[in-house]
Amino acid sequence: MIQASSPPPMLSVKQLGLKVNQSTILNDISFDIKTGQFIGLLGPNGAGKSSLLRCIYRYTKPSYGFIQLLDKSIDDYSRQAYAQQVAVVLQEVPEQFNLAVFDVVAMGLTPHKPLFSSMDQDDKNYVYTALEKVGLTHKNTQMFCSLSGGEKQRVMIARAMVQRPKLLIMDEPTSHLDVKYQIQIMELAKSLGVSVLASFHDLNLACAISDSLLVLHQGSLKAQGKPQSVLTSHLLSDVFGVCADVSLVQSASDIHNVVPHIRYHYGYVK
Amino acid sequence: MSRLALLCTFVLLTLVSFIGALSLGAISIDLLDVWQALLSYDSRHLEQKVIVELRLPRTILAFLAGCGLAMAGLILQTVTRNPLADPYLFGISSGASLGVVVLFTLTGVQAGLALSGAAFIGSLLAMTALIVITRTQMSNQVESLVLAGVALSFLFSACTSLLLYWSDPQAISAIVFWTLGSFSRADWQTLWLPALVVSLCIACMLLFRRTLNALLLGDENATTLGVHVTKLRLGMLLLSSLLTAVLVAICGGVGFVGLMVPHIVRFFISQASTAGLLATAFCGGLFMIWVDVIARSVLDNQELPVGVITAAVGSVFFLLLLVLRKRSSPSM
Repeated sequence: MIQASSPPPMLSVKQLGLKVNQSTILNDISFDIKTGQFIGLLGPNGAGKSSLLRCIYRYTKPSYGFIQLLDKSIDDYSRQAYAQQVAVVLQEVPEQFNLAVFDVVAMGLTPHKPLFSSMDQDDKNYVYTALEKVGLTHKNTQMFCSLSGGEKQRVMIARAMVQRPKLLIMDEPTSHLDVKYQIQIMELAKSLGVSVLASFHDLNLACAISDSLLVLHQGSLKAQGKPQSVLTSHLLSDVFGVCADVSLVQSASDIHNVVPHIRYHYGYVK
Repeated sequence: MSRLALLCTFVLLTLVSFIGALSLGAISIDLLDVWQALLSYDSRHLEQKVIVELRLPRTILAFLAGCGLAMAGLILQTVTRNPLADPYLFGISSGASLGVVVLFTLTGVQAGLALSGAAFIGSLLAMTALIVITRTQMSNQVESLVLAGVALSFLFSACTSLLLYWSDPQAISAIVFWTLGSFSRADWQTLWLPALVVSLCIACMLLFRRTLNALLLGDENATTLGVHVTKLRLGMLLLSSLLTAVLVAICGGVGFVGLMVPHIVRFFISQASTAGLLATAFCGGLFMIWVDVIARSVLDNQELPVGVITAAVGSVFFLLLLVLRKRSSPSM
């Protein structure tokens, strides 16, 4: 009997490390992301979340270790080919420019278009579909800089949709947003049906949305696994230095599932 | 469709402006003669000779210089994400001035091809220095570019001032006139060079428009879209420097167009599109044609320096636009 081999992980990080000027930023990090999984990346400020994500989206070159995307080292992809597989939504976008919302979303086409070609009807359809999905069709001719913070991030998500990636990376995409938009942005990301690796600063939101969590502490991976097994009051005081109770509540999206819910005592570990 | 209509309007406006610029000047030539000169040129006819030998190359040069400087400004504002960037901020024109002044003081040459050559070498020198300095600073390239450019610009100005301090007053006035720019050096033999460089630049802009726009979202975002940020930025910097060097060498220092025209166009149209890029080029060219017409027709028997008019007309128009826009926008 032939045993069906399991499909390769979407992303595989092995013994990854990063040193900048002799100080260790990331230390021996290994994890896998399966196809379609939503992974939440947690950790206090300076734990190395952004540095880890930068290594994965090839903005920073790691000092050692390797990263594979679909069983192929990410260094073996050309810039364009990699951008066709991996889209990134960042925390902040510079505002000193004057582009219409439509043009910003259409930038997601960049890795798919050769230099000379212009936009065809299919491309326009991609852009309009994405705009409709994030609910901004009526603003497509408005200037990007005139939008509110939540709308700007929705535009960036729409741009990522047009890029048609297999893996979406998000670096604290909701930090400055109101609660409603935090939930909305994460649900939009989840609705794409692709693998997602997102860093969070709101732990409860991360628990409610993610299939699995990665917890970084001082450049090392402190814990990984399902939210209910990872997020304990012990870990909260160890890693985040806060005193809190963790109770399990029924998940809003799946009634057979429970997610941890954190209640802070507003004291901290000295 | 509306973008096509916009471009047709620009082409039409350019044609009208060309004919107007050929007919206006120290002596007014009526439109019928202009038309005849263009269709069947007769070199024995004085007025036709004025049009074909003097005004036509001059107007073409003005148009090319306007296009080129506006594009150079647009490139630099895009790759540095700095709304104040223009070809003159990066020391390219002060390099050219230094070249000219060095030539004056060493040889006493005050006109001709040697002057353009010296200006070109000076700006190439400035460009090379800038690129060598910023090549080593890959991480915050934008900041070091702007700072190094400003520092170089001051350094070259200091050298120029020092040399001027030692030279005679006649040379000083010649140099000042050169710095303010003029299209009077235009002739058919040298026109091919700016034409070639400007069309090359526009072609490159259209070719790389997507990746250039991606730079506006920041280096990190551009990288995630598959753009080789540092390479693209250096390439575009090289292109705009070449453009500026060629134009400054032929026309002298015509300031303000590169800074202002992209901003004015930006008030009306998103520059991400092909139409927006071409609109910027056309606006620069049209603006310069009419500036040149003013320069050679306002005073009798005398020509005003082009740079004075571009700065004066341009800044007033720009301020007006700022004020009017603030009033009409509801959010302010």
